[in-house]
Amino acid sequence: MLPIVSITLFLPLLGALLVMALRRSPASIAHLIGIVTSGLTLLGALWMWSRGVNETGFAQVEELAWMPAIGAAYRVGVDGISLPLVLLSAVLFFLSFIYSAKVKQRPHAYVVLMLLLETAAIGTFTALDAILFYVFFEVSLVSMYFMIAGWGHEDRQRAALMFFIYTLLGSLPLLLAILGMYLGSEPQTFDMRAWIDNPPLSGSAAMLALAAMLFTFAVKIPVFPFHTWLPAAHVQAPAAGSVILAGVMLKFGTYGLVRFSLQMTPEAFREAGIIVLAFGVVAALYGAFAALAQSDLKRMIALTSVNHMGYVVVGVAIAALAVDPAVRATALDGSVLQMVSHGLVTGALFLLVGMLQDRAHTREMDRFGGLLKVTPILGWSFVLAAFASLGLPGLAHFPAEFQIFLATLRVEPVAVVVILGIVVTAGLYLRAIGKVFLGEPREQWIGMKDLNAREVLSLAPLLILIVVVGIAPALLLDVIHKTTAALQF
Amino acid sequence: MSLIASVILAPLVAAVLILLLRRAAVALALLGASIALLASIALLSDAFSGVTGELLLPGLPGMPLRLIATPLTALLSTLVAIIAGLVLVYAVGYMRQDDEPVRFFATLLLFIAAMQTLVLAGDWVLLLAAWELIGLCSYLLIGFWYRRSGVGSAASRAFLYTRSADLGLYLAAFILIAEAGSSDIATTLNTGGGAAIAAGLLLLVAAMGKSAQTPLHDWLQRAMAGPTPVSALLHSATLVAAGAILLIRTTPMLPAETLLVVGVVGGITTVVTGLIALGERDLKRLLAASTSSQYGLMLVAVGAGVPLAALLHLIAHAAIKSSLFLGAGVFQHGRESTALTKLQGAGRERPRIFLAFALAALALAGIPPLSGFFSKDAIIAATLASPTALLLTPFALAGTLLTGAYMARALRVLWHGDRQQRPIAGLGWMAAGLAGLVTLAVTLGAAFPAIETLLDSTLPVSTLAQVLGLSAALAGLALGWLVPAPRLLGPLLPWARQGFAIAGGFDAWIVRPAFAIARGCERVERGLYAAVLAVGRLGLAIGQAARRSDDRGIDGLIFALVRGMVDLGNRARTLQSGLIHREMAITVVATAVILSVLLATSLFR
Repeated sequence: MLPIVSITLFLPLLGALLVMALRRSPASIAHLIGIVTSGLTLLGALWMWSRGVNETGFAQVEELAWMPAIGAAYRVGVDGISLPLVLLSAVLFFLSFIYSAKVKQRPHAYVVLMLLLETAAIGTFTALDAILFYVFFEVSLVSMYFMIAGWGHEDRQRAALMFFIYTLLGSLPLLLAILGMYLGSEPQTFDMRAWIDNPPLSGSAAMLALAAMLFTFAVKIPVFPFHTWLPAAHVQAPAAGSVILAGVMLKFGTYGLVRFSLQMTPEAFREAGIIVLAFGVVAALYGAFAALAQSDLKRMIALTSVNHMGYVVVGVAIAALAVDPAVRATALDGSVLQMVSHGLVTGALFLLVGMLQDRAHTREMDRFGGLLKVTPILGWSFVLAAFASLGLPGLAHFPAEFQIFLATLRVEPVAVVVILGIVVTAGLYLRAIGKVFLGEPREQWIGMKDLNAREVLSLAPLLILIVVVGIAPALLLDVIHKTTAALQF
Repeated sequence: MSLIASVILAPLVAAVLILLLRRAAVALALLGASIALLASIALLSDAFSGVTGELLLPGLPGMPLRLIATPLTALLSTLVAIIAGLVLVYAVGYMRQDDEPVRFFATLLLFIAAMQTLVLAGDWVLLLAAWELIGLCSYLLIGFWYRRSGVGSAASRAFLYTRSADLGLYLAAFILIAEAGSSDIATTLNTGGGAAIAAGLLLLVAAMGKSAQTPLHDWLQRAMAGPTPVSALLHSATLVAAGAILLIRTTPMLPAETLLVVGVVGGITTVVTGLIALGERDLKRLLAASTSSQYGLMLVAVGAGVPLAALLHLIAHAAIKSSLFLGAGVFQHGRESTALTKLQGAGRERPRIFLAFALAALALAGIPPLSGFFSKDAIIAATLASPTALLLTPFALAGTLLTGAYMARALRVLWHGDRQQRPIAGLGWMAAGLAGLVTLAVTLGAAFPAIETLLDSTLPVSTLAQVLGLSAALAGLALGWLVPAPRLLGPLLPWARQGFAIAGGFDAWIVRPAFAIARGCERVERGLYAAVLAVGRLGLAIGQAARRSDDRGIDGLIFALVRGMVDLGNRARTLQSGLIHREMAITVVATAVILSVLLATSLFR
């Protein structure tokens, strides 16, 4: 059988090598290679999707000996938790390449970095070996650092450095936890499947490993108070960088939270569940309120990510605390779906703000007004994405948040206070829509151009997917639920 | 395709087609609405012959989406389809001058589809989804003229008020699903005990938001910023009706304690918003306040334990209130304003429109044999028969009295004054829609017995209720016609004109605290950022210090080492003299040293 996971995983890397080889070619060639490669990668991801997942364990596993002496190997595969994220990554990278086709500044390096990032992202989600996972996890950091530092806005150097140091320091504890689990496993191996089937640590060792991992993932997700790198990085990152950062890279944290913390140290997670839950609730509410105070559109959307990812943390914590397997499955279904929904919705919102900034060279919402009349496609797209983000039924976030809240009420009724977040986000988005798009158009923006074909091509698929996931969440949930319903811990 | 699906799909598909084709909006809209109407009538006739339609759709794992056509839901669906259809006919004329018919009709049809989904929903997920979607559609419709100042904020306010209250519906649904282990509404209605009380109160909160009950009544009057057909639809059988419909459908589950709270909330609302209507200076805002007041009466009926009375009043009110709004819309086109001072005598210049408006007004006041008489009578009889009669009956009577008073006041303003004739575009369509609705408002009472049979439920009958109700209505009409409103309201007037806002209302209680918290979070945010930067700077400082010590210490050491090596090399060079004998001697000595060392080590081992 064709090793389609590995092909999908390394296609972007091949594309990157090709662009490097052709570095004297015109910019359009580099962008074309980027679009074609990521398009093929998307096809690969769809192929993986069509092969589906197993009832238990991982599907489409591909293995190759690497360092047999220490039990590390090249192992990749997917289950119902990772497969939707692979597909999401492939979609977002493809659309980001279309959107970025306008980049004139060092286009070859840009395309190479993005492609490298795509391999790192898909690798993080498909790796079944802890060493492999860690390598991909770290490579993504480097690429994103250069991305922000090289193509960002005014204050990019500082933001990039902050991002890098923060997340690098953040990921060291994960390495320690991985080594601990390696030493605790019998026979010693880095095979994540073995760690999941047979959690290698117990007692206080497990709790220490969990604490280390939670720190890493809390920085990555990010959870209050470890989130300060996020608004800074987002505000400075180029639009496509923001899309990838929010849409794909934040999921590394929540994915790790499920894959490592929940599945490999389940007992310890159950004991510490209440604390994680509290962090999730605080993060979700804090993110919503902090976003309400912003006047910079990009910063506002960045902070709503803290809110939405907070719901994921709540869902995972509830899954750890739940006794009834059905409730646990509901919580995890919601959490995984929420990751995908957030990628689609926030991806669309960052693209839209990027388009707005390209035109107006500002992100301050008070400086706009009445744009719905001037740029109707941009305006209505923003309205749709904003209502999706505030959790309107029929759009992507609703089914996810509904399941998370429902499971929360059944397991830890007090924590359902987190639902206040959906009113606050409603308020902040309506305020933003009112300031930017409603009212009489301002003189200075009368001549603003509406979206061009490239922008529509990069945006429309996201909007369509937002509606499709909202109306027929079963398309994703069937795959997700297969795995979450069978989880044993 | 099943009937039940086509009730929803017809307007939905029409909306999508209008958006895609961007032409023939009117024809497509009327077509979609007609198909939906026919399908819902077919559903109703099925219900009469005892057939229950049901449709299951894939939803969330373990929670399929369910559409269900029981006698009650089929009846409500037909009501929505009829009112929506007639309002649509009216809107064809009303919107003739507008340059964005595509957006208007598409949104209106989307709204109708969402409302039909809400009415026919058989599970909590779908009900909740439809509930929020009608919130979105009303946001889009109220904000239709978004370029005018104040319109955007009115739309946002409507959405936020209702969404805040919607949390009640979310939580109630979660509680009921958790208790019953199923999201099917019919199954969850068997819930009892503390869960039922909690869920019932939470449902009441949601209903208060949507049906604009005190203290959440303020958004509805501001919602008048939208086009008049929108007001007519929102205030009659759709948006606002959702709250009452929710309570009517869940009454079998509600315990006595919850019912009492429902009745009291409704009673307070009917009086408070009735007073607001009496003091209002704008015709559309007067009608809006009256909507809250009438829905308050329906809640009183639910509180008295007779949801059927509430349902009949909902049906009668739907036809009456949409007629009133449509009439007001004609006067508005004639005078380009809805302020009562500008509308003086507007009725006199269009006697037929005025006649329709007056008939609807009298029906609302509860004058026989118009429809409102029967439904209001049913409500008063229900309160008299309930165990809480002493509490609820005065509310119902006060509401009736106030209804007569403010309607008479409106009629008087419209009748007294100068005539100014101005042509109105699209009057034919408008009059057609209005005529249809007024006919319903007048005659619907005759259909009530059939509805009782259909729902297999009877109303309490009481002559006392009829006498009391009619005298309250007549007294109200007389007061409103004869006594100017400021004198009627007396010291209450200024407060009524502020909408009886308690200590600043929603803004002071919700909006300002929310922004205060937000600013607090922003301060924390800046503090955290500064702290992280400070840590970063500390790291840099340590790095700098380390570099300085490198310069002097480590670098110095390395350079010293290098110098040493060079010296060594120089010295070694002197050894390489090229003199064979000397080198041989050195070699021998060195070999001897090495050998002795090796020997020594092997000895010591």
